[in-house]
Amino acid sequence: MSRSITLGQYFPGRSLIHRMNPRLKILSLLVVLALLFSLQTYPGLAGLLVIVLAMITTTRVPFRYFLKGLRPIFYIALFALVIYFFFTSGGVVLLRVGFITVESEGVREGIFVILRLVTLVLFSLLLTLTTTPLSLTYGLGYFLRPLRYIGLPTEEVAMIMAIALRFIPTLMEESQRLMRAQVSRGADFETGSIFRRAKSLVPLIVPLFVSAFRRADELALAMEARGYRIGALRTRMHEDTIAPRDWAVLAVVVAMLVASLTLGL
Amino acid sequence: MFIGTEKLTHTYMPGTPFANEALKEVTFQLKKGEIALVIGPSGSGKSTLIQHLNGLLKPTSGQVLFEGRTVGSDKAELLKLRKRIGLVFQMPEEQFFSETVYDEVAFAPRNLGFAENEVQTSVTGALQEVGLDPDALLDRHPFQLSSGQKRLVALAAVLSFKPEVLILDEPTAGLDSFSRANLFNLLAVLNRNTGLTILICTHHLDEAAALAETVFVLKQGRLVLNGPTSEIFSKREQLHKLGLGLPAVTEIMYWLAEEGLDVRTDIYTLEGARQEINKLKGRQEK
Amino acid sequence: MVNRSEIMIEAKDLVYHYPGEEEPSSPALSGINLAVNRGEYLALLGPNGSGKTTLMKLFNALLAPSEGEVRVEGISTIDEGRITEIRRYCGMIFQNPDNQLVATTVEEDIAFGLENLALPPAEIRKRVIDVARLLGLEHLLLQPPHLLSGGEKQRVAIAGVLAMRPHCILMDEPTAMLDPAGRRDVLKTVQGLNREQGIAVVHVTHFPEEAVFADRVIILNQGRLVRQGPPENVLSDLPLLHSFGLQGNAVVELAALLREDGFDLPPQLIHSRELVHYLCLSERKS
Repeated sequence: MSRSITLGQYFPGRSLIHRMNPRLKILSLLVVLALLFSLQTYPGLAGLLVIVLAMITTTRVPFRYFLKGLRPIFYIALFALVIYFFFTSGGVVLLRVGFITVESEGVREGIFVILRLVTLVLFSLLLTLTTTPLSLTYGLGYFLRPLRYIGLPTEEVAMIMAIALRFIPTLMEESQRLMRAQVSRGADFETGSIFRRAKSLVPLIVPLFVSAFRRADELALAMEARGYRIGALRTRMHEDTIAPRDWAVLAVVVAMLVASLTLGL
Repeated sequence: MFIGTEKLTHTYMPGTPFANEALKEVTFQLKKGEIALVIGPSGSGKSTLIQHLNGLLKPTSGQVLFEGRTVGSDKAELLKLRKRIGLVFQMPEEQFFSETVYDEVAFAPRNLGFAENEVQTSVTGALQEVGLDPDALLDRHPFQLSSGQKRLVALAAVLSFKPEVLILDEPTAGLDSFSRANLFNLLAVLNRNTGLTILICTHHLDEAAALAETVFVLKQGRLVLNGPTSEIFSKREQLHKLGLGLPAVTEIMYWLAEEGLDVRTDIYTLEGARQEINKLKGRQEK
Repeated sequence: MVNRSEIMIEAKDLVYHYPGEEEPSSPALSGINLAVNRGEYLALLGPNGSGKTTLMKLFNALLAPSEGEVRVEGISTIDEGRITEIRRYCGMIFQNPDNQLVATTVEEDIAFGLENLALPPAEIRKRVIDVARLLGLEHLLLQPPHLLSGGEKQRVAIAGVLAMRPHCILMDEPTAMLDPAGRRDVLKTVQGLNREQGIAVVHVTHFPEEAVFADRVIILNQGRLVRQGPPENVLSDLPLLHSFGLQGNAVVELAALLREDGFDLPPQLIHSRELVHYLCLSERKS
């Protein structure tokens, strides 16, 4: 049953992009996003789209994962397209139905916006599909580090997030099991008024809480027994090292941003 | 046939790289009034199978049969099914949520439409059936009971709606040897007195083997062995290969037989072993 | 090289009350005097609630004694400044494999304790790989823990402790939630570590058959140490076991029945092969 639950979108692999330092991966993504919004021309955008597609092929993550990731933005894209088609004027009139006109400028801009959106999502998926949730957490945690100076225990927060990632599948599995167990005792979680339904959740929520607290208790003991102490100095198995090629990637995307800004691509 | 499956297949997360075929074309049947065991290593599909028998999962293909009819997915029909087939999950006391033992045991009968006066008699009846004293327990908080008592209350919480079939997933997990023996004994008595059909998934063959008429062996989602208890436990090599053992007493009998002693090996209880070994002495004296 | 007489863990006049339950009448543990020797395999038997788990936690400095003291490698467990040292010497494995794995991958979990010791990353990686190889977990290093079987999870937990190079492993019912194959794997792993690496083991269990291979068996009841000695003495003492609600293993129980029937069996039989041997002997004699 546990195999029916997976967390995050990580798709295991050993490609260069998989192995890139998560901090620089996140930073590079930010630069790429800036680049995307600075791009104003079709050739520029097309170039970036080709780059992202090329990068996707090197990761060996099947393309359907990216398609799946694109699915949620389908309606947003459709909506944007409608807005641009009908409300942007300029260029040649392509279609006229009653008082509605579709002009070439609208089509050009509409498609541009959608391509930009698609590229943006593809780049983001490239990050989430090639980085484990844990590395992502630590990567993001790194950028939160300055908050330590205002008293936030960022190391502990990172540990809490990592543990949450570890236990989400376990707790999901448990809630599924509990739900089935209570259904087999005739419980009904689906019908009735909202009030009734909320009340029917008691047999689910109480045991879930009881178990979560017990787990937390046992886990705290197990962590302590293995020498974990809050505030003590720790090291990490996988050093957060940044290879020269990681810097090179960042340098390339920054150069692309500069180029796009200066050349007006 | 009372209850069973026909080429039942279940795939978790179909169509993804995480797709996992938990059951593969499992066909089996349970006779009315028998006790049967399902054994197999963890992850062999036991839990998935018994959840199907309670209509908690939808078959990917194949079907679940009850009294010769296919179990559909209609809600009213499923509710009727659950009323007749009780399922005791692994560590069932982890489902407790009520503030009194009474409410806990009354949960299922209430859900299944018993009138409140019926609920009352069924709750006390169920507690008595599992050997607990209703007067002493009804108002207690279920979380405060001992681990053995909790398990029995959880069993009563299913017996309370008087199912015709009782299915238990690892009913003795985490119990000490005393509570373990007590629970299996109780199941045998229930079966004898009320004709309850019982299906048990368990790793604890030492106590369970003696109860069962039939044994089903699952491995990686397939039903690999299936037959009368004595037939299944005569396939010692094959069971060992599957990572499954024999009851400890049976294993001793096999060792004796291998040493050339004239003893039967289809022995599952201490008492049975005692008698069989005593026969040796009798033969010598003659 | 291993000096078997040397003491690793020592409890002197140990008493423990849980907070809030400080009436002197019912401490969780009282009057415990016990030494765990270097390289020894010690099995700790007792019914539910006898104080076994509490004793383990006191050994690991997870609890501080109410009276008396516990010393691990000569260090008192109330010496706050050296607690990490104690935990490095004395690793602990818990009953529920799910609630002791911290990280999202096996390798990070094995590394967890080493990270807490603030070892250099290169050293951590080396030890993780060494330990994984030793326990045959290499192929699982990148797996998330929730996809492992129970036996695998427990072996990962053992690997995490082992990587810290402990002198002793404390195990609190490590097999209670496993299937027979998982149980065998875990027991074999621990026995191997004990024999080949001279790591002392304290193994809490309520399966007498798991205590058979120990160097010494201890029985706890109601917070008191009621019996200790070599397994053949303690585990064969059925009246004692029964009086604490424990059962003997199949061999001991069967041998007792056969003695009643006049079989001439030596008093300290605990292994199947011994029983088989003596039965064959008496058969051949006649």
